[in-house]
Amino acid sequence: MTKREQILLSIEAASQRIGTTWPLYSFVASNPLSGYEKLSFENAVKEAEHYLKSKSYPSASVYRTALENNHIDKSILEGILREAEYYDNPEAYLNQMENAPQKTSQPQSKLDVIMTKWLAVFMDEGMAEWQMPNKEKGFFKAWKALASYDKDIGKPSLKHVPDDSVDAIEQVLSAHNISNYNELFTAHISALPGWTGYIKHRTNTNTVWQQQFPITIEDYLAVRLTIANHLGFSLEVDKKPKEDTPDTKLKHLWLKAWEKTFQDKLTLNLASQAAQNTLENKADLPDAQMVFCIDTRSELIRRHVEASGNYETFGYAGFFGIAADYQHYQEDISVKSCPPIVGSPYKITEAPLENTSVKDEAFKRNKKVATSKTRILKRLKNMLPSSFGFVEGSGAFYGLSLVAQSFMPKVFLKLKNDKNEYESFCEPQITYNDTTQKAIALEEKVAIVKSGFDLMGWEQFAPLVLFVGHGSKTANNPFASSLDCGACAANPGRHNARLLATLANDKDVRRVLAKAHNINIPKSTIFVGAEHNTTTDEIELFDNQVPETHKMSLKALKDNLLKAQETATAERLGVTSGSIALAQAKSINWGETRPEWGLAKNAAFIVGSRKLTASSNLDGRCFMHSYNWKLDPEGKALEGIMGGPMVVTQWINNHYYFSTVDNDKFGGGSKVTHNITGHYGVVQGNGGDLKMGLPLQSLKSTDTDMYHQPLRLTTIIHAPLERVESILRKNKHLQMLLDNEWMYLKVMDSSDKNTIRTYTKNFNWHPEKINVSKVKIENVKVTNIDIN
Amino acid sequence: MKANPLDQLNKRSTLSKVLIPLTWFIFLLSAGLIVYYFSAFPSWRLGGWIHINGFSIVIYAVVSFFSGIVQMYSANYMKGFKYQNKFLLLCLAFSLSVMLFVVSNHVVLMVLFWFLMGAIMSKLIGIDSEWKEAKHASKFARTNYYGGTLCFALGIAILVFTTGAFSRTEILLNLESAVQWQITLASLFILTAAIIQSAIFPFHRWLLSAMTSPTPASALMHAGFVNGAGILLTLFAPVLFKANILLLIFIIGGVTAIVAQFSKLLQVNVKQKLACSTIAQMSFMVMQCGLGFFSAAITHLILHGFYKAYLFLTAGEEVKNALPKPPETIIIKPLQAVVITLSAILGGVFFSFLTGKGIALDSGLFLTFIVAITVGQVVYNILNHANVAGVTKLIITPILIIAGVGVYALVFNGVTLLMYDMPMANVAVELTAVHIIFGIVFLIAFHIMLSGIYRKIPWLYVKLMNVSQPLNKSVISFKTK
Repeated sequence: MTKREQILLSIEAASQRIGTTWPLYSFVASNPLSGYEKLSFENAVKEAEHYLKSKSYPSASVYRTALENNHIDKSILEGILREAEYYDNPEAYLNQMENAPQKTSQPQSKLDVIMTKWLAVFMDEGMAEWQMPNKEKGFFKAWKALASYDKDIGKPSLKHVPDDSVDAIEQVLSAHNISNYNELFTAHISALPGWTGYIKHRTNTNTVWQQQFPITIEDYLAVRLTIANHLGFSLEVDKKPKEDTPDTKLKHLWLKAWEKTFQDKLTLNLASQAAQNTLENKADLPDAQMVFCIDTRSELIRRHVEASGNYETFGYAGFFGIAADYQHYQEDISVKSCPPIVGSPYKITEAPLENTSVKDEAFKRNKKVATSKTRILKRLKNMLPSSFGFVEGSGAFYGLSLVAQSFMPKVFLKLKNDKNEYESFCEPQITYNDTTQKAIALEEKVAIVKSGFDLMGWEQFAPLVLFVGHGSKTANNPFASSLDCGACAANPGRHNARLLATLANDKDVRRVLAKAHNINIPKSTIFVGAEHNTTTDEIELFDNQVPETHKMSLKALKDNLLKAQETATAERLGVTSGSIALAQAKSINWGETRPEWGLAKNAAFIVGSRKLTASSNLDGRCFMHSYNWKLDPEGKALEGIMGGPMVVTQWINNHYYFSTVDNDKFGGGSKVTHNITGHYGVVQGNGGDLKMGLPLQSLKSTDTDMYHQPLRLTTIIHAPLERVESILRKNKHLQMLLDNEWMYLKVMDSSDKNTIRTYTKNFNWHPEKINVSKVKIENVKVTNIDIN
Repeated sequence: MKANPLDQLNKRSTLSKVLIPLTWFIFLLSAGLIVYYFSAFPSWRLGGWIHINGFSIVIYAVVSFFSGIVQMYSANYMKGFKYQNKFLLLCLAFSLSVMLFVVSNHVVLMVLFWFLMGAIMSKLIGIDSEWKEAKHASKFARTNYYGGTLCFALGIAILVFTTGAFSRTEILLNLESAVQWQITLASLFILTAAIIQSAIFPFHRWLLSAMTSPTPASALMHAGFVNGAGILLTLFAPVLFKANILLLIFIIGGVTAIVAQFSKLLQVNVKQKLACSTIAQMSFMVMQCGLGFFSAAITHLILHGFYKAYLFLTAGEEVKNALPKPPETIIIKPLQAVVITLSAILGGVFFSFLTGKGIALDSGLFLTFIVAITVGQVVYNILNHANVAGVTKLIITPILIIAGVGVYALVFNGVTLLMYDMPMANVAVELTAVHIIFGIVFLIAFHIMLSGIYRKIPWLYVKLMNVSQPLNKSVISFKTK
């Protein structure tokens, strides 16, 4: 192996030590420690603590609160502690954890400051009018061309430094006596994990910015090591700590106790539902059926929608199985509209309906005017000396805007967004995502529709079937996209929902479904796309194509959805009256940092029929995917669910976990001092590392009080055990996640009287003893909400 | 029903509920007084200590307006922040210290409240006391402010010594009897205090390092605190005239304006970009003082306050998924050039007509010149970039210009009228070669920006980038947070 290859391999390995930082315009909740998943959770966080200087467990005070609120059951905790040979009482261990010495670390900060300066200007995505010169040559070369003017590093002469970044790294290394490249690279890459994580994002997804202005981890290291060398910094890195501190072991046990407390409640709940024997009852035909995303926020709205009328609801990944990019009609960009782990062979585009050319032209005109308005304003603000005159001429109007935003945000918003929604006159279409842009073949359309019904275990069709995507509406919120549909790569799910409805309404599609697949959709059934606004719980229907015959039932449905909105917001916000107005106010308030809670509190993923959960209030803590084990004898659908949604929910869950336990490192810190950089990310205050995760306000109700409970995900699948096991055996990656305890898996074994069994390492299934008879089943569907 | 733990997130805190109406009451009271007295605003005195006139009430209205807006915003924005109440009280204390400063007449009060403004602002910058970077930023700002206070105190002390008076109004009355070199020295100290507060070069770095303060505090800082130079120079306008340093003030402002505006172009994060813009705008305000038009400077600080407060409070909207765009090339066709020049002249004439500036051959011309170039710029941009029909352009262009220039002139005239009893606040100075040179420099800078030549000068890029960096320790210090 040449030295070059050795360097490249070491860099590759070292890059696994950091996570990926996603841009805020498409915020993906990913596990920041995904590169450590080959290790057990306990060892992985220990490694991460060393490399990233991060915290890995909730703090002692969080555990104390959880214990006081009975979120950690005392007897469960004592049991777990005793098993691990800790015989004192919990209070003593709490004190021990509280008094544990804090680790302090001192990274080389000058190097970090210089690096952030250059990284920020290079990776800018259009914020600066004057971009870093020579950007198109790539980071290392562009930096080299400018570095000789940089007084921060003493205006060095870099003539002897090679042009290629790996050569440059080699040159620095040969000047020092370094044996372990891996450790060295890891230390330098993880010194600024947010920024290097964004480099990873750019190289992994090869964004348009990356294509024009390439940057690699090699470039980063070359610049960093060259500067370090030039400033005479030592390249030594601190060695691994030998022993793990006793309190991490304790903290791990407390976490387990907390998780077990939650799991016991949940399994008890599910087991009692199963024991009621209601699972086998065939339901009457509902007035309408609605498909929601597996998102935890759907749990709440589904409960309230079901309570508002004779409706059946399903859970399905919110991109509705359409692996596509979306060509925006409003802006000239194309965005991913399916999970980032899935490719996009298709593209969704919009086409105006017949006889809507007037509307369409008006829309396009407005769009053009809006673009030129932004452009002209930008130029006037930038130019000398018009910027001074501009401020004087427009200052008074900004004054009026301040008043309007503060006192009449609704009116202000209306004046600002005069554009009409294009969904009212457009229909989505699906094409191949290549240069041909041809409409896709009929069989492929059929396959998309069919797989939806297969995965959800669909049995009968109501006259109205709604595909409900979801999106959020918040104001002045850099993290807006973190509240949108994760399955649509942090975009609103409306486009995919509308498209699936269009496909399912297609006569040819229905014909093939009936003929080739024995899926008979009655003529009277109409599919409608919709979107659940998770900030206000409004469900917007895209019903411009619904025939007259269904207008009456549609009207009734809309009325009930309004009722559901009222009760849902009342429960979510904890108020008894004016809940819709309050939710709407939060959604448009420019000073609101907690417009909604996103997926906070998520803790479990339930795969099975809605009947298992229909009469429980799961408090928005569960992802739910519909699944009917009877209709899936070969386990194909289940394999799809476990390989797709289950992994994604684990990502989301781990993201929330780590963002919560170390908000400064893995999260975004407080919104109060955020500073948006480059149009894609935030830094705290004056700069520093790029933030890689959710902000404090998405996870905690105050700076000190928790909202999200940091628990690892528990997946519960209702299916024959054997089927689940064979899927795990086939998919080593899934088995690894379970064996390493990144998540839990429980199976409600339909082949054995619905006994619940918990997976433990190497296919040991541990049965749970649940005494259902003691439990009084309450109908807690919509509890204690008094609406006046 | 049990208490909802999230209740506090659904409503305003008790402190906010008290302070917000109180602030708006002060605003309405000031606005009411302005409307009631307008051009004949009386002046009230409390011995040699307090002096209230039209100018102070203008500042009252402005400060209470910003304070009200920022408090309403913070009532939501700062929810759950561990120092929420401390933050609200500091904001209130800051507003009060500005208000007390502008009505202070006794020199001891003036120095005291000037000091308090800085002390409170530095507390806001470092409000998160567990955050090392914020601590450094706060300390750095404090050092600057205390230095400013010291300069101010020295300047005042010299004035007291040379005029024998202890109140500002009396000092101004006794100027004739004072020793010239002492006046000059005093005004240089006062000028230094002023430009420290307004973050003018070489004292700009504290502002660029002050993003550790919560967003609404930044709004207050950029719409309120940094206006210090405008207010201070206005209050001591006759001293500056007497010391004959107006041209120096003009030059300091002019140089910083150009450097800051170019630095703004290369900023990649929203708050630093706004900070560079603030520095440029404050420099322009200082230039206006240097032209002898202190009332224009006050007008500028008010209008800029609206503009900058709005941009800070909406700074969270800057996340965008955009495509790379090559820099635009500028082509002005001959016919367009004629139209642009013509409309620029018309715009200038319109402004002159409304304000009486630029009629005589004095520094008023410079003010009109800026307005004219802006009008030309607006016309150019609409001609070239607006995606609307020709007829529409023909209609909206004059409307926009008349509205913009008209409203500006209106505010300017109003402020000037209210400041009628401020000595030497609106006196044109002689037009000198320096003014003309700066006019030409502005035109050249304008041309450089249009043509984009600056993009081809890498050393300038690095130079400006380094000049506009925050204090190192306020970016990343030894991070143990």
